[in-house]
Amino acid sequence: MAVSVETLPTLVSDEVLIARRRERRIGFVVFTGLAVLAFVVPHEVPSWMDTGIQRWAQDRYRWSILNRESALIFRWFFNPVTDALNWSVEHAESWLLALRWPGVVAVTAAVGWRTGGVRAAIIGAAAMGGVGVIADWDLAMRTLAIMLVAVLIALLLGVPLGILAAQSDRFERVLRVVLDTAQVMPVFVYFSPLQVAFALKFAPAVMATVIYALPPAVRLTNLGLRQVPVVATEVAESFGSTKLQRLFKVQLPMARRSILLGLNQVIMMAFAIVVLAALLGTGDLGQEVLKAIQKTEVGTAFAAGMGVVLLAVALDRVTTGERPAHRLRLLNWLPRVPFRVAGAIAVGGAVATVIAARVFEWQQFPSWLTIDIAPTIDGWFDWAKNNVRKGVPVIGGTQAISDFLTTWVLDPLRDFLWWLPWLVVVVGLAFVGWLSKGWRLALTVTVCMVLIGTMGSIPGGGGRVTLWDLAMDTLSQVLVAIVLSVLIALPLGILAGRSDLVERLLRPFLDIAQVLPQFVYLIPVVFLFSIGRAAGVAACVVYAVPPCIRLTALGMREVAMPPREAAISFGATGRQEMRFVQLPLARKAILLGINQTLMMVLATVIIAALVGAGSLGLVAYEATAKPNVKLGQGVAGGLSIVLLAIMLDRITQAWGTSPDTDRRT
Amino acid sequence: MFRGKRRIFAAGLLLATFATACGDDADSTVAPASTTAGATDSTEGSDTTEAGSDTTEAVADTTEPSAPSEACPTSGEAITLAVNPWTGSAVNAYVAKSIIECELGTPVEIIEIDENATWVGLDDGSIDAVLEIWPSGHAADFDTYIAGKGSVVDLGPLGPSAKIGWYVPKFVVDAHPELATWEGFQNPELAKLFATAESGDLGQFTMGDPSYVTYDEQIIANLGLPLKYVVAGSEAALLTAIDQSIADQKPILMQFWQPHWKQLEVELVEVKLPDISPACEAALASQDGTYACDYPVDELYKAANAGLEEKNAAAFNLLKNLQLTTEQQSEIAGYVDRDGMSAAEAGQKWVDANAAVWQAWLS
Repeated sequence: MAVSVETLPTLVSDEVLIARRRERRIGFVVFTGLAVLAFVVPHEVPSWMDTGIQRWAQDRYRWSILNRESALIFRWFFNPVTDALNWSVEHAESWLLALRWPGVVAVTAAVGWRTGGVRAAIIGAAAMGGVGVIADWDLAMRTLAIMLVAVLIALLLGVPLGILAAQSDRFERVLRVVLDTAQVMPVFVYFSPLQVAFALKFAPAVMATVIYALPPAVRLTNLGLRQVPVVATEVAESFGSTKLQRLFKVQLPMARRSILLGLNQVIMMAFAIVVLAALLGTGDLGQEVLKAIQKTEVGTAFAAGMGVVLLAVALDRVTTGERPAHRLRLLNWLPRVPFRVAGAIAVGGAVATVIAARVFEWQQFPSWLTIDIAPTIDGWFDWAKNNVRKGVPVIGGTQAISDFLTTWVLDPLRDFLWWLPWLVVVVGLAFVGWLSKGWRLALTVTVCMVLIGTMGSIPGGGGRVTLWDLAMDTLSQVLVAIVLSVLIALPLGILAGRSDLVERLLRPFLDIAQVLPQFVYLIPVVFLFSIGRAAGVAACVVYAVPPCIRLTALGMREVAMPPREAAISFGATGRQEMRFVQLPLARKAILLGINQTLMMVLATVIIAALVGAGSLGLVAYEATAKPNVKLGQGVAGGLSIVLLAIMLDRITQAWGTSPDTDRRT
Repeated sequence: MFRGKRRIFAAGLLLATFATACGDDADSTVAPASTTAGATDSTEGSDTTEAGSDTTEAVADTTEPSAPSEACPTSGEAITLAVNPWTGSAVNAYVAKSIIECELGTPVEIIEIDENATWVGLDDGSIDAVLEIWPSGHAADFDTYIAGKGSVVDLGPLGPSAKIGWYVPKFVVDAHPELATWEGFQNPELAKLFATAESGDLGQFTMGDPSYVTYDEQIIANLGLPLKYVVAGSEAALLTAIDQSIADQKPILMQFWQPHWKQLEVELVEVKLPDISPACEAALASQDGTYACDYPVDELYKAANAGLEEKNAAAFNLLKNLQLTTEQQSEIAGYVDRDGMSAAEAGQKWVDANAAVWQAWLS
């Protein structure tokens, strides 16, 4: 390989090299020995390893059903929280409805103007107005109310947790496992328990959203605080500031960007599960999506889903309000007014609109402004049905791709993983972990995989199937989905990283793909790929590609100019510069993108189960489907997904960090 | 500069929202019923007017049959009825809503909710009643809440019965009449018509939503059929697979049921499975995995929170007496599935036209 800037040879003494070579040799010997041993012991997961976690979870669930009136934790904790949450959402909703639609749009614009300037105001207001244009306004306000409460709670919990995590490494490590669990554990697993704890409608919906959306708030607060230069903190310290003063006056303001990015991610995650929360009877836009899906009305589902997307965009642009470095060219002809006057205009405008809306009885969103996009979408879908599935030259269409994927990729990979003795899989993955970072990672991987072995078995296939076997099925699908996502996303990300035009063209699609409720594309995916694992893989890919493209493009863009310019001045062609300078320098960001892709794929395993992928996702889904019998199984399935995720996550993260740092020391 | 402006700004917004919140009471009384007639209005508006006497005739605005009639004046604590995501469930609830509101003067709140989530609501009383339960899918819930904890009570049969079974599209039976019974599937060549990439050499048997009851895996194994059981994972996926099958004229074998709106749209034929034998009844009771017969008929039933009788005896009594025949229910469901009415309109239309039927429920 050519010498890239990043991997320039550094000075390493001979002793270190020899020691490393010896360690490497020991590793190979140890792992070969373990692999041989693994072939000798029983090939199946022994039944004595079953820890009975399924039974334990099932019993706890049953206990809480039987004792939800009398148990103290219900009377003193769950019930008051339930009431408070319902109260908050109901009041938020009635306020939003009282503001009337012009008022909501005007307030959105005013807040956007305050946080992000004219641009944010316009985009926010346009998106909010767009909600009324393509979806039902009143239902949208209910969704917005739920989301506002959930996002607020996620921030109130997440930022302090992030601050704590930034103070203590040990706390951070523990918290990280908890957050990984929250992010990857399928919502369906804790749906029924949440209902038992928080009854129906808003309270459990808010709680589910908070659990799912909390991790980025904690993570990015922690990250932001840790990235504050030590110098800044030390200066503050030398001026005699207290710890709290340092936190609030120096560190938090300096971490502002990161925290705002966290807020952005919280909003995106929260809106992504609006539809699932609707299963609890929220009666909002998410329910519209569900109802349409039930009747296989793709267009209607898409319209309601787009309402959700626009709400998310409005909330996101207005709250995170990134201020563009340069003013919009279009805005240059506007008269420049002092900040104070502009503020007065914005606030005054908002107040005036609200009052006008009340005076003129603008109650419902005017029907002449609404557009029914459902028929258009249905038309597109019909076209795709007839032209994409079959008869496409060369590749043959999505059905052929699906059949190929199932027969020649998914089947062999799964059968191979099933054929391997289970301990060989454990040792093999531990070996990958050791290669990636070292003994510590090998140990983490081993623990994760062995824990999957302790999850027991469930009835199925005319006998009993171990969770291990299901996990191998899932693993095969996940690996295929990750490879496909990366294959699609990397080129697009690189392109977007080098061309503004491509990035601008891609952006709305990425926004939509990330926030559009996954339920919306359930039907198209089934129609194009047929029920089965290939459809599941397709669903995962749709969801996982956007973050990968985003992070790749971001990584490419953040490469500093000097080395790139230097390369060009030395006569490198554009392509050479990209290949040998920009790409290697963006490597870490790209690997982070792959890591995120992986988490997304694992978070989508549950949706894949709804289109026929079976395996762990289906087991987890059944926790909601038949909680009185299958909650325990669901918990075991969900935990297995989490363990797979943690294992894959730690390995890919090691790729992004370790080799370089190792080599430099 | 930062802080001063922020304060002005906050004050302004606060003012604006107060202005709206305070003005609210004033015009909620003049708000026309049409703006709040949505099914989900619950937070406000329940305190609008005093109850009319409950002897008033059903206020049917016969001028416009398609529009939902004016809500009857109601008062008191609302009763919450659950609607699960299928037409039958919705029309039952709206028939009941119309009668309870107009005859008993009690407001009825409809909550659209997942079938399994319904039970937790019935348990704690956040749902007062649900009018259509398919017993086959909820045996465990029955044991837990009705027979066990006693927090939910059985309100008796709804009337219509439903039937789960094995279905194929009609074109399959037209081409291969022997596939109308399960014996036809013993032939590997015929079973292979249903093969997919997922099922390989076997025929694929498709199951929809895993929350529905299924003995299909047992039936396939115990009858020794060359079929592979594949779970589609959701009803939507199953319905899409039917569309796909019709579009391609590619056979599909699946678990499906009657009544379902899809049956009006495409022609499906139920595959004859062995009649229910004593051995199968025993297998059902013992859950030993030896079931090899047809699905039992589902006698739909109603259930309520145990506290409903105390909360509103009249409504409890009405819901207990409420019964529809299969024909009546499919007539109302037809208004929705065939004629495109909303469930509320369909329920009202039937109530307006069939006073004689429901008057009997009030006694």
